[in-house]
Amino acid sequence: MNKKTKWILWGVFLIFLIVYPLVFGIYYTNVFVTFTIAALFSVSVNMLLGFTGFLSFGHAMFFGAGAYGTAIALAHIKGLPLLISVFIGFMSAVLLALILAPLVVRLSVTAFAMIHMAFGMLMYTLALKLRNITGGEDGIGGFPIPSFGVPGIFSIDMTDPTNFYYFAMAIIGFTLWILWFITKTPFGCLMVGIRDNAKRIDYLGFKLPQTKGVVYLIAGGCCGIAGSIFALFQNLISAYELHIMHSFTPIMMIMVGGVGSYFGPILGAGIFTMLGELTTRYTERVELVIGLILIAVIMYFPLGCIGFYHYLKTKYLKRKAA
Amino acid sequence: MNILETKEVSHDFRGLWALRNVNLQIEKGERHAIIGPNGAGKTTLFNVITGTYVPSRGKVFFKGKDVTKAKPHDMVRLGMGRSFQITSTFPRLTAFENIRMAVLSKRGIRFNLFQKVDKMKSITEETDAILKRINLDGERDLPASALSYGKNRSLEISMALSTDPEIVMLDEPTAGMSRDETHTAVELVRRLTEGKTTVIIEHDMDVVFSLADRITVLHHGEILAVGAPKEIGENQAVKDAYLGEMEV
Amino acid sequence: MDATMAMYVAQGLHGLAYGMLLFLVASGLTLIFGMMGILTLAHAAFFMLAAYFGFQVLQITQNFWMALIVAPVAVGILGVLCERFLIRKAHVMGHIGELILTVGVALVIMDAVKAIWGTESLYLKVPEYLQGLVSIGGLEYPIYRLFIIGMALLLLIILALILYKTRLGLIVRAAVSDADMVNALGVNVPLVFMLVFGVGTWMAGVAGVAIAPILTVFPGLADQMGMDAYIIVVVGGFGSLSGAFLVSIIFGLLSSYGVQFISQLAPVLMFIFMAIVLIIKPAGIFGERED
Repeated sequence: MNKKTKWILWGVFLIFLIVYPLVFGIYYTNVFVTFTIAALFSVSVNMLLGFTGFLSFGHAMFFGAGAYGTAIALAHIKGLPLLISVFIGFMSAVLLALILAPLVVRLSVTAFAMIHMAFGMLMYTLALKLRNITGGEDGIGGFPIPSFGVPGIFSIDMTDPTNFYYFAMAIIGFTLWILWFITKTPFGCLMVGIRDNAKRIDYLGFKLPQTKGVVYLIAGGCCGIAGSIFALFQNLISAYELHIMHSFTPIMMIMVGGVGSYFGPILGAGIFTMLGELTTRYTERVELVIGLILIAVIMYFPLGCIGFYHYLKTKYLKRKAA
Repeated sequence: MNILETKEVSHDFRGLWALRNVNLQIEKGERHAIIGPNGAGKTTLFNVITGTYVPSRGKVFFKGKDVTKAKPHDMVRLGMGRSFQITSTFPRLTAFENIRMAVLSKRGIRFNLFQKVDKMKSITEETDAILKRINLDGERDLPASALSYGKNRSLEISMALSTDPEIVMLDEPTAGMSRDETHTAVELVRRLTEGKTTVIIEHDMDVVFSLADRITVLHHGEILAVGAPKEIGENQAVKDAYLGEMEV
Repeated sequence: MDATMAMYVAQGLHGLAYGMLLFLVASGLTLIFGMMGILTLAHAAFFMLAAYFGFQVLQITQNFWMALIVAPVAVGILGVLCERFLIRKAHVMGHIGELILTVGVALVIMDAVKAIWGTESLYLKVPEYLQGLVSIGGLEYPIYRLFIIGMALLLLIILALILYKTRLGLIVRAAVSDADMVNALGVNVPLVFMLVFGVGTWMAGVAGVAIAPILTVFPGLADQMGMDAYIIVVVGGFGSLSGAFLVSIIFGLLSSYGVQFISQLAPVLMFIFMAIVLIIKPAGIFGERED
């Protein structure tokens, strides 16, 4: 694919994003926002899992930190600008990551996964128990959603689903672009190196814990942005979003879409958003379905859809060559 | 002048002494081979020097600095490169990306999140030059896991050298190679380590005698003899140790 | 014994009983991890499943002992099948694939349980001679909890005897400290793996049935205890049985005294303990391996 077609494709995609709410209506516009939030969440987690080789069963806590950060700030501070509220969500998640990082960066893969599960459960319990801060099971809802704009010059109402859609697309798109860019930098090389052979990275003169720590902050912070947008979108955040099932969701999306690639998790998020629309209509056994999908993917399609696509492609090319 | 020195280094694994009072002295610019029967403690000595372990007793000095407690990345930053007996490349990365990792380290590029690595021309050029020098330019874009054993070994060795260290520690560079491959690898080592201090663990005596300026013989974790290849070849204690344990 | 003292002792015994059960769950995990390098996240689900099986067996046979024997064995067999047909065949991304796979198994079990038995709490009745209180030196204490402590001790002794007195035990211990050694011993490794997985799951099953009369059987049963068991394995040091034992007892006591004095923060205590240990020693208290 040459540069020109690439730009044209991106242009087409941009136009699609712009017309989407006008064509598909409010319901599907909201579905799309849900999808992009899930996509950002998964891509962030995949920075750890797919690129650096670290599995976490607790990243819902960073999503939650972002969401609660934004929600609490908006509920308590009058006239807080929209972007600042998102930034507060982002910083809450980064802060949580900063606290945990020194503890977790030296752990082995298994211990890392387990500790996150434990901390995830802890955060869930705290969110339920610390009622006066988090609102317990009811969560925090009905906080004011600020308009987007410059006071006195212009102001866009964010309670309007279409307006919010454009706002969410801008923030999430920008964050996704940053994450994609990071994978292309020398630091991105380093991440993949840690995944492939951490010992050698150490013997090439890179400091492992510090490097992992930076990835950890980036992943955590971006989960926080996803959470922050979620809180604004739903105008509600409750302890449920911190539940361990919510930590499994991105892992599943990553596995189904393709753990080895940047775009796999986005594809996975898309598939699950669609499946979610379908399964909730026909069955209550969501966990059962998720469990079976996880087993099937690990057993038969370890590299997910993208991996399966590459497999088919090489097979096709071989047959063509023969 | 000694660039690398260990003083009375001992190391034990749960009561099992792998090294006992080892005083190793490496002169600047020499090629120094460490030989000894299996289990003599050669790799343990490497691990102690390169920062994998802190020795139970004794001290390690590099360029006159006490580096006993230094970590592997500290040693690399001080100017030491190391290759491994069991090939330790990045299996899913291409040959190019493997070498590039070392080049990035050499340039001190560690936390650059603001530039696309593909657009950093001088890095690409330097990496390609290295690939060409080790005859891997044909396999530039193949993942390391798809390379032949010999080529993967070349990659392993040259990664240790691509950080441009003052001293290289090569742990059995010809391990598991065929005769032809060994020959190529020795030539490669000779070419790449020109003018650098080199410490090499080796089993193949032909390789040792053709490469090394000086040899240290380890036996049961202790230094048995040090000297030029000719002296070592005539040393009775060394002959006994080898006849007793190796030729069986 | 005055009232305060009695309370202290009673809480201590409570903690001991809980710690013992925790160790039954955690030791299975530790053995499996030590042997195969896999932390099976389905363990807590098997633990819970055993409680449901126990309930079902009790319904049918009206015999508590049958429940205590049959249900863990059934779960053990399920564990073996899971190892043989799923875990053994998952080879992707090292341990990450196995971890995710066992999460899948756990989710299926937990949801299947809800589908079959519903979400209501179910009660397991123990025989009359295990009900009620017994008086020891002025302290009134439930017989059943003493029974649990005794049974767990008995299992522990049997486990220790097998590990330290038999050839199988030798193989397992060798494998835990050095996986390559087993291959050198010329043993049918897959068979030993399957056996260890089965026994580990069985022990979790015993704990599941044993705790059911105290906590009742409900879908959330796996959450607290399972989580504690996983933390124990991490904190005690992967693959270290003595580490698992020590931390199990500490956790048992922490939780019982914790509930007594700072009930709000009791769940947090263990996390603080875990954090402190891991800051000082990332491989866990008795941990040496890191994989």
